[in-house]
Amino acid sequence: MKPTSVPYPVKISFFVLIAVGFGLFHISALLADSGPADQAPGRMMAQQATKSGEPWITTDHTRHAALKKPFRSGPEVTKACLSCHTEAETQFHQTIHWTWKAHLNEKGDQMGKGWYSLNNFCISANKMADKGCLSCHPGWGQKVESTNCLVCHGQKPIKWDEAFEDLNAFLQNTNDAESKEMAAEIQAEIQAAVQQVARPKRQNCGSCHFYGGGGDGVKHGDLDTSLVKPNKALDVHMGADGQNFECVRCHTTIQHKISGRIYTAPAYTHRKSLIEDDLTSKITCESCHSATPHKAGSKANDHTDKVACQSCHIPEFARVNPTKMSWDWSKAGKTKDGKPYKTKDALGKEDYLSIKGQMKWVKNVKPEYFWFNGSIQSLTAKDAIDPSGTVALSHPMGDRNDKGARIFPFKLHRGVQPYDKIHKTLLAPMLSGPDGYWQTLDWQRALSKGSQALGLPYSGEFDFVNTTYVFPTTHMVAPKEYVVGCTECHVPAGSRLANLAGFYMPARDNAGIIDTFGWLLTIGSLVGVALHGLGRIVTNGNGKKKEL
Amino acid sequence: MKSGIKSVLLTVLLVFCFSAAATAMEKGNDRKGKYAYRKIYKSCQARGAVGSSVPSISPADKTQAQWNQVFDNKKFDEFGCKEEWSKLSDKEVIDIYTYLHSFAADSPTPAKCQ
Repeated sequence: MKPTSVPYPVKISFFVLIAVGFGLFHISALLADSGPADQAPGRMMAQQATKSGEPWITTDHTRHAALKKPFRSGPEVTKACLSCHTEAETQFHQTIHWTWKAHLNEKGDQMGKGWYSLNNFCISANKMADKGCLSCHPGWGQKVESTNCLVCHGQKPIKWDEAFEDLNAFLQNTNDAESKEMAAEIQAEIQAAVQQVARPKRQNCGSCHFYGGGGDGVKHGDLDTSLVKPNKALDVHMGADGQNFECVRCHTTIQHKISGRIYTAPAYTHRKSLIEDDLTSKITCESCHSATPHKAGSKANDHTDKVACQSCHIPEFARVNPTKMSWDWSKAGKTKDGKPYKTKDALGKEDYLSIKGQMKWVKNVKPEYFWFNGSIQSLTAKDAIDPSGTVALSHPMGDRNDKGARIFPFKLHRGVQPYDKIHKTLLAPMLSGPDGYWQTLDWQRALSKGSQALGLPYSGEFDFVNTTYVFPTTHMVAPKEYVVGCTECHVPAGSRLANLAGFYMPARDNAGIIDTFGWLLTIGSLVGVALHGLGRIVTNGNGKKKEL
Repeated sequence: MKSGIKSVLLTVLLVFCFSAAATAMEKGNDRKGKYAYRKIYKSCQARGAVGSSVPSISPADKTQAQWNQVFDNKKFDEFGCKEEWSKLSDKEVIDIYTYLHSFAADSPTPAKCQ
């Protein structure tokens, strides 16, 4: 039957199609407004989450009377800050930035750099008895009493200890006009610095975190002074020519507790995006980028449950400044003409110091990869070790069966450091001060004083042991053009993930029998198709009987 | 014979003069010297002659013997900011010398300007 008119339902469908098409046109126009149409959704989400402009404040600190008075000491400055910010110090004194105290480990020992935790750089702060370490404690001078708020909030660099010492010295000379003039100059500088406060900037956090381990880029391969004014090629988030994020953009803070610490307990207990919870911490990549950040259908989205974003997006760390990759304390103590000496390497970094030993500095370092569930297990000065092999002073927790674990990039720092031959424990030498190794070059004295400060026994017999210490790599996120390519992992030889065993990874792993069977199947199929085609040609048809 | 005596006397006189100069320098005020030194570069930056108010040369950049040599010969060209250096009083120069010498590379407490 030949239809004479369009059926009614079809007419409706036609109009519905037009309406849908019109709607889609509008949606696509809206998407075009919010960003390029070919952008990955995770990138668009992050741009939405961070699109607000410059942060703003409701006070001008130069106009506060409390900050205009003459100051004679650091604690007087703190008192002035607290006259308005009444709860700030109470809050801050609860945080690890002040206490240097982390959690108790499973044995009940106190973790934290001010306690029994160790590393393979300067090893220990000896329960804060090593005063050299206090240069990074946010108090005034070497006292752990009153908070120096300006370490984190001050925007005008000033050497506080020196300024107050000189000010007070000049003020004692009341009869000398020159001294009075210099005192007035210093006081003006102090007041200007006190009044110039703001949310912490990169140089505030960096004044300690870029210099961890006693120098620029010593500890962290992904944190050094190149991040004070980075470009986008170094870090897509912090680049001054890009998003220009300050540290606190991601390290969000509640009552002075700053999110993102990851050395022992997890930096986060769950991964949530801002869509799931608009008040969630922004510390994970997923917070802003979601768990499926790439374009729909992209194979990369299939990786995010097992591979951390950082593994692909941080191909190398220490891309501008070198970082220290090893430190051998056993080589310390050599002298030339009876005096300590130091040498520099091709990168211009000190690679030997009599007071510290042998170091190795490297630039553009490819990370090492481990399964990581967000926790790191660390040894303390109380833990027994097996000195016959390399001691993992800290190592990431998690394996491929752990649902919360993903493959994560790390800087692995290798050390050689002293241990007690009798007690089989790692030792924490006192380094600075009159009894410290840096002045005496006397291991016995330094180890005795260091153990004494920690309240731990020392047998008097020591040797050196190889150790490793891990740092998760999460800064210096490269532009997408430089991400780790598929074939840097999925290759049989030289894979970045060569050390991760116990699971099958396409192209990296193979089994002879399966490979042979696969090839036979493929070749057999090709031969079959070829023969079939040939048969068609020979029979001159498609196999169907021709109609008569 | 007379010329020999003259030479000896001249040498003694010269040694005395240099010793006196060195003694005068040692009596400077290192704290004042530090601020006088910094003030040079603040002023120099203010008139646009240098980019930074931080002195480019730190006390720890030279040994005490090298600082002695610089100030004995009064060769201040390497410091830059000639205008400011030329305006310094003798006392200020001695204070600056005392500061740089006290915190030289081979002093007990070497100092950097940063």
